[in-house]
Amino acid sequence: MDLDKQNANPTILNPSDLPSRRRESIGKRRNDSGTGLFDGLIPRYNYLNDPFEQSALSSDSEDEEFENIDEQEIYDLISSISDPEHPLSLGSLAVVNLPDIHIQPPTSPFSSISTVLVEITPTITHCSLATVIGLGVRVRLEQALPPRFRIDVRIKKGTHSTDEAVNKQLGDKERVAAALENGTLMGVIRKMLSTCE
Amino acid sequence: MATSQKTHSHVLQPLATLSPPSNSRTWQTAPHPSQPIVATACSDRSVRVYSLTSFTLLHPITGGHKRSVRSVGWKPGTRGQSVLATGSFDASAGIWRRREDGGDPQDFTHHGAKRGGEEDDDDDDDDEYQFACILDGHESEIKSLAWSPSGQYLATCSRDKSVWIWEELEDDNFETVAVLQEHDGDVKCVNWHPEEDLLVSASYDDTVRLYKEDSDDWVQVAAIDGHKMTVWWAEFEGAGMSSKDWRKETKDLDEKQRNYIEALERSGPRLATCSDDCSVRIWRRKPRERQDAANSGIPSIIRSAAIDEEWFQEAVLPQGHSRAIYSVSWSQKTGLLVSAGSDGKIVVYRERWKTTESGAHGDQETLSEWEVVAEFWEAHGVYEINHVTWATRRDKGVRWEGEEVIVSTGDDGEVKVWTLNEQSGNS
Repeated sequence: MDLDKQNANPTILNPSDLPSRRRESIGKRRNDSGTGLFDGLIPRYNYLNDPFEQSALSSDSEDEEFENIDEQEIYDLISSISDPEHPLSLGSLAVVNLPDIHIQPPTSPFSSISTVLVEITPTITHCSLATVIGLGVRVRLEQALPPRFRIDVRIKKGTHSTDEAVNKQLGDKERVAAALENGTLMGVIRKMLSTCE
Repeated sequence: MATSQKTHSHVLQPLATLSPPSNSRTWQTAPHPSQPIVATACSDRSVRVYSLTSFTLLHPITGGHKRSVRSVGWKPGTRGQSVLATGSFDASAGIWRRREDGGDPQDFTHHGAKRGGEEDDDDDDDDEYQFACILDGHESEIKSLAWSPSGQYLATCSRDKSVWIWEELEDDNFETVAVLQEHDGDVKCVNWHPEEDLLVSASYDDTVRLYKEDSDDWVQVAAIDGHKMTVWWAEFEGAGMSSKDWRKETKDLDEKQRNYIEALERSGPRLATCSDDCSVRIWRRKPRERQDAANSGIPSIIRSAAIDEEWFQEAVLPQGHSRAIYSVSWSQKTGLLVSAGSDGKIVVYRERWKTTESGAHGDQETLSEWEVVAEFWEAHGVYEINHVTWATRRDKGVRWEGEEVIVSTGDDGEVKVWTLNEQSGNS
C-alpha cells in the first residue's frame, strides 16, 4: 500500500451510483466494456471538451440570451477531475456531490452575473490537499464556464479541520491568480484536469 | 449585457476604452501626476502607458518582469523625466525612467491646467521607458506599491506579510529604511497620507495598519479592526478638502455644523477602506487632546505612547456591491468616492449634511452622511473590475478646468474612462 498517502483507503462510489442525467445510456455503455472500479478513470462524456455545444443543441433557440447551465452540468464538469493522490475521479470519491452545487441567479435585474457555489468534501478531515483540490475545481470551472459566472469553491462546513483558512485562500482572486503562475502547482492542476479532456 | 441602469441624481457615461486593450487581465491603472497619461499593470507581465488625450497606447513596457505586473505608481514631483515603479508577482519591484523632452517641465501641483500638445511620438530609443533598477527583498508576490507625496519614499507590500519602505538616496540608489511585519497575512495595499509621512496598509488578515517614523524607526501607530474579511484597498482623502467639497458652503450652517467641520479639519484627511465583506468604510483620526495622553497611568515599555494614533470608524457607506470590493478612490477635487469590484459595478458616493436630526452621541457624533449618486452595472461587461480611480480629464471634450474622469481597470483587459454627469430632469 502507499503508506505516504494521506488517505490510503478512500471510499469509492460505484460509478453507476453517480448522478447523471443520462444514466440509461451510460449504463448500456458500461455493459459493453465496463470494468467496474476503474470507470472513474475514464471521462464519461465525450462532449466535456465543449460542454456548451451540447446545451446549445438541446435548447430550442440559439438566439437565447444565455444557455441554461444547471447543477448537473457543473457536476459533469468537475466530477471527472482526478484526485491528486489517487487515480480516481472527484465524483467517485464523493469529494464533489451534486447536492452541494448551487447556482445563484443574478442578484439584480441590471446584472447578468450568476454565481456558482461548489462545496467540496475532502476525503479526510486533515487532508492538506484540500486546497489543491479546491483550486482544481475553481480552475476547471473558470476555464469551462462563460465569464458571466462567478465561482465560489468552499470546503463543506465541518468536514475539514482548517476549512476557514482554506476557504479564504480559495476565495482570494489574487492568490488564485498568483498560484496559476506557479509552474509546479500548475503541473499538479493540469494533471488533475487531464482526465476532463 | 444588462441594458437599463437604476436612476440616481448622476449618471456615469462611458467616454472611451483605451485602445488597444490587453489580451489578458489588467490589474491597476495609475494616472501620471502631471502628464496626460496613465500606466496600467497587466497580467501579461507588461505595463501599458496610454494617452488620456487620444485614448491610445503610447508605450508598452515589456521585458522586465517574469510574472504578472500587479501594481504601478508614478513618482511625484519629477522634472524633465517620468519615473515609474512596477510591482510584480515575481516578488520584485522595478524602476523605469523616460525623459520627457519637448515640453516645459510642468509644475505637478497645477496638473489641472490644459496642455497644448500631445505626447511626442518619435521612434528614438530615448523615447522609450528605460529600466533603471530593481528592488529585491520581498519573498513572494508584490501586491501593491505607493510613492510618498514628496517622492522621498516608496512603500511596497507582499504576500510575505511585510511592508517595505525604500528611500531613494540618489538616482537609482534605493535603501531599505523599514521592514514592517505587523500583519498576519498578505498585505494587499499600501498608500500614503497626503500631508504627513503616514503610511497605511490593508491586509488579508482583515486589518488596516498605520505607520510613522519615530526617532529613526518606522513603527505602527494604529491598528484598525472593523472589516470582517480581507481588506483590499485603503486610501486617504485629499488634503484641505473642507474648502473644496460639500463643506465649502458654510453660509447657512448652525454652530454644531461649524464645530463639526472644525473637528474634521483637526482630524485631517480621513481614510476609506473596502473589503471582501462588501462594505466601504470611512475612518477618522481622533484629534490629539492637549496633554492628557502623557499621564494615562500605564507606561509603555516599548516606546512613548505619544506617537500612537486613535482612528475610529466614522461611516459605513450605503451598500452598493454584492461581491468583494477591490478598490475605492477619493476625488481630490470634489471629495466624491468611487468603488468597484467583483460584481462588475461602479458606484459613486457623495457626502452631505445629515437631513434628519439624530440624538446627540457625545463629541464624536457624525453630522454627515453618504448617498449613492451614480451606479453603473456591468461596467466591464460581465467581467470583474480590479481597480477604479479618478484622473484629470485631458481630451478635447473637457468641459471645465479641472474636470475629472473615472478610470476603471478590468479582468477583460480593458481600461475604461467615464464621465460623471448630472441626470437631466432631476433637481
